[in-house]
Amino acid sequence: MQREEPKSEPGSQAKSGVKAKGAKELAHALVYLGPSLILFLIFVFYPMVKTVYLSFYLTNPGGDPVVWKGIQAYLTLLGSSSFRNSVVVSFLFVLYTVPGTILASLLLAVLANVKLRGIGVYRTLYSLTIGVSVASAATIWMLLFSPADNGMLNYFLHLVGLPKIGWLVTTRSALPSLALMTVWMGVGFNFIVLMGGLQSLPEEIFESARIDGAGRWKQFRHITVPLLSPTLFFLLVVDTIAAFQSFGQFNILTLGGPDHSTNVIVYSIYREAFFNSRFGPASAQAVVLFVIILILTLLQFGVVERKVHYQ
Amino acid sequence: MKKGKVLKIVTVLLVLGLLLVTGCGTGGTSSSQAAGGPITVTFWHSMGGVPAKTLTTLINKFNATHKDIQVKLVYQGSYDDAFNKLKASPDQGPDLFQVYDIGTRYMIDAGLVTPMQNFIDKSKFDLSQFEPHVLHYYEVGGKLYSMPFNTSVPVLYYNKTMFKAAGLDPNKPPLTFADVEKDAKALTTKSGGKTVYGFSQAIYGWFFEQYLARDGALYVNNGNGRDKAATESLVNSPAGVDILTWWKKMIDDGAATNLGRQTSATQAAFGAQQIAMTIDSCGILPNLTTAAAGKFKIGIAPLPRGNNASDSGPIIGGGSLWILKNKPKAEQEAAWKVVQWLTQPAQMAAWTVGTGYLPINKAAVNEQTYKDFLAKYPSYQVALDQLHNTPENRVTEGGRIGVFTSARATVENAIEQAVLNKATPQAALDAAAKKITSAIQEYNQTMGVK
Amino acid sequence: MKAGSRTHATKVVQYALLTLGALIIVFPILYAVGLSLMSGGEAAAYPPHIIPQHFQLKNFVTAVSEAPLGRFMLNSFIVSVIVTLAQLVTASLAAYAFAFMEFPFKKIIFLVFLSTMMIPGESTLIPNYLTIRSWHWINTYQGLTVPFMATAFGTFLLRQFFLTLPRDLFDAARIDGCGRFRFLWSIVLPMARPALGTLGVYAFINTWNQYLWPLLITNSTSMRTVQIGIGMLQFQDATTWNVVMAGVVIILLPSLLTLVLGQKQLVKGLTSGAVKG
Repeated sequence: MQREEPKSEPGSQAKSGVKAKGAKELAHALVYLGPSLILFLIFVFYPMVKTVYLSFYLTNPGGDPVVWKGIQAYLTLLGSSSFRNSVVVSFLFVLYTVPGTILASLLLAVLANVKLRGIGVYRTLYSLTIGVSVASAATIWMLLFSPADNGMLNYFLHLVGLPKIGWLVTTRSALPSLALMTVWMGVGFNFIVLMGGLQSLPEEIFESARIDGAGRWKQFRHITVPLLSPTLFFLLVVDTIAAFQSFGQFNILTLGGPDHSTNVIVYSIYREAFFNSRFGPASAQAVVLFVIILILTLLQFGVVERKVHYQ
Repeated sequence: MKKGKVLKIVTVLLVLGLLLVTGCGTGGTSSSQAAGGPITVTFWHSMGGVPAKTLTTLINKFNATHKDIQVKLVYQGSYDDAFNKLKASPDQGPDLFQVYDIGTRYMIDAGLVTPMQNFIDKSKFDLSQFEPHVLHYYEVGGKLYSMPFNTSVPVLYYNKTMFKAAGLDPNKPPLTFADVEKDAKALTTKSGGKTVYGFSQAIYGWFFEQYLARDGALYVNNGNGRDKAATESLVNSPAGVDILTWWKKMIDDGAATNLGRQTSATQAAFGAQQIAMTIDSCGILPNLTTAAAGKFKIGIAPLPRGNNASDSGPIIGGGSLWILKNKPKAEQEAAWKVVQWLTQPAQMAAWTVGTGYLPINKAAVNEQTYKDFLAKYPSYQVALDQLHNTPENRVTEGGRIGVFTSARATVENAIEQAVLNKATPQAALDAAAKKITSAIQEYNQTMGVK
Repeated sequence: MKAGSRTHATKVVQYALLTLGALIIVFPILYAVGLSLMSGGEAAAYPPHIIPQHFQLKNFVTAVSEAPLGRFMLNSFIVSVIVTLAQLVTASLAAYAFAFMEFPFKKIIFLVFLSTMMIPGESTLIPNYLTIRSWHWINTYQGLTVPFMATAFGTFLLRQFFLTLPRDLFDAARIDGCGRFRFLWSIVLPMARPALGTLGVYAFINTWNQYLWPLLITNSTSMRTVQIGIGMLQFQDATTWNVVMAGVVIILLPSLLTLVLGQKQLVKGLTSGAVKG
């Protein structure tokens, strides 16, 4: 890797030197990208390569490769109903949480994007959940979700005359319950980002729209959303990846149950690697998960980002 | 002005960078001992909450009274966390390691430990003072590999006040599955759209293992993996199916409720009088008593047994202490001294009083601290009696496989399938047995176990 | 905004909605605070109490005596500050390249960055542990911080923000003969303060909330971080929720405080005239 001082380029470049120019530009860019790339190389890509390597083996519980299995682990995954279940559950979880989090946060951000006395207090309260760790949140929600009558949420249901819910203990309600809690956790961060986006919108456009007689919904639909689209796109990508990678709430609240109804891929990987000591199959799952997220992100960039309005 | 701020940040970063290069941490865990100074014994444990506090108090006392040995007590997260850490890098391990009961097989197969028996033989340590049933769990081929430490058994907790209100005799707790079912029905009441259930137990694989043993059935073949390495799971035996059928039927009949996998949920419900009976470790008696204070009286009974079962007994649960073999001899000897000290009657009595774990040193019951404890919680005696009444055989010694953690999770899933009507008890357990068997065989293959 | 023309009624509705939203968001935290102040008996009462009848601070004393939370918090603070500063530097540099520079393979390199977010952390845990061990960084601050000093997420966040800055700023600067680095330093970063603030708060809190990695690579109480404290307060067989909640509240306080203090920096900023320059 060649490193050159990033000095200002001469104004004119010979057209014949397109390649040379490209190399030089790349070298310049690498000065800025270098620190991150080196860290990623050591702490992300090297382990990932190792993971791919392990996925071709059966390991002993210490994690050392023992028996060469080739692509056996991948074939097993393809035919495994429990892995298929994990994929479905993961996608459902993304579907439950990502739109919910973004919509709820957008609602709160629009609500809080007004000039009122004490609005700062509300903004702080809305962003509060960014400060809550998964471990803390799961501990608190474990109690809220208590399936007996003395659970707080069930008590609220009782107060408004609704029947109680099993929350985390039935196969139907467990995943939605976890999604509810995850949306709650995600609102804080999403709110802050959207608030920042809303605040940066130029006031003049709204002024002129108002003069043109555009109603609030029209303003929102035709000005706010398009101008906010880089922010919304960012949240879509980041939230999707985060949802696929969610782990803490599954580990603390449901352990993948009941009856595998919350056994997302990440939890399944963790279980296989650290409890069942099957590092080979666990690695294969990790590779598959990586590919799934990669394809999804590429799709988001290919399809959705076209509609994003950058200034 | 902004430049000034930026400059400050850069300086901070430079300083940090320097720190990184020179190494500002406290260094790795080198096990080298300063010549002439006291020997340091690193002790990894997984006790949280009150037991952690009790253990710290005990170890502080040891350090104060032993000038030549200093114990460094380190909490390593849950049993599984600690276990995983040791697996990832055995050479970075401690001198003394607390492992849960079901990790026994792996600890031996991994070849990381010096058997406790070696130290016992050398120093002619008297094992006869210990509860034999507890010792047997940790014995392999007549050799004790680790020293039992925190030990518990499951018991039935019941709300005496509710028993009285339902017209039941508060001094006659249910003893069999049929009794539990009958009493649970009598105890279940509905009022104003709310139900108080007669019974609830957490979906916890440990309970299933205990019921199985209570009914005289093996968990795995080859004498529960004790005559030779197990190759096959037996959880789908008639006894296993009976347990699940009973478990499920009570829920279907509305006499019991399913509160999920967390024992904390059933504990909370019991404390709030939402359920009248529950199954849990004997260790939580003090906490339940606190929750019940001023509201109701708690009774304890032995773990219920199947209707057709001969009266067998439960297995023990908990953890034991292991000495790792890749440490210098002097450290291992020092660790052994710590183990001996911890299991002396006075310490064991303090341990029981502080945690609710069983006094595994028989002499501990003569200590005044224990007598005071028993006076405060007289029903605790039921747990100890249950331990004493258990016959010694392969069943009650407990299953021994290297993949017990995953087997337990598999069984928990089978219980959920049955309870939530996703499969019949027989089908759920058949599938579980198949899965466990294949896990055992894969383990045997990769570990070279024959 | 023409606040003056708003009727009193709309204001009331706005406040009502704002308050309702706040109650829903804050309730779980209030519930935790409430429980942490209750006695064991009250915590198990039915119907459940939200506001304790007899306030007591005993649980906090118990929590602190069961886990050395003070030392843990100090470690977490040191680690979080180091990681936050480092991430701000690496992410600003990288995001600048992605937003303002043209170079071959830009799309691919950006994707390479993003792909680091897609790799499950559970599968890199053990290899990274072995790397850190071979460098003798077990039980050190560098072991706790260095692996997290680069952030694809932060780079992405800043890139998105930089992209909303007017392109002509860059061209104008170039015409002025302003060097790339100086442009980043004296024009982009000052304007990006809200985004940097967001990333800073996010990085700090995320690091503060780590559990598995600190547990794996620290071996002594003196190097442990604060989330491990929650684990130390819990005990699977006998849970005393009020004490656990007291620990949760203690551990929550610093991150919530960071948020309250950082909030102004976060959502203000962008409205200042400089942006529209």
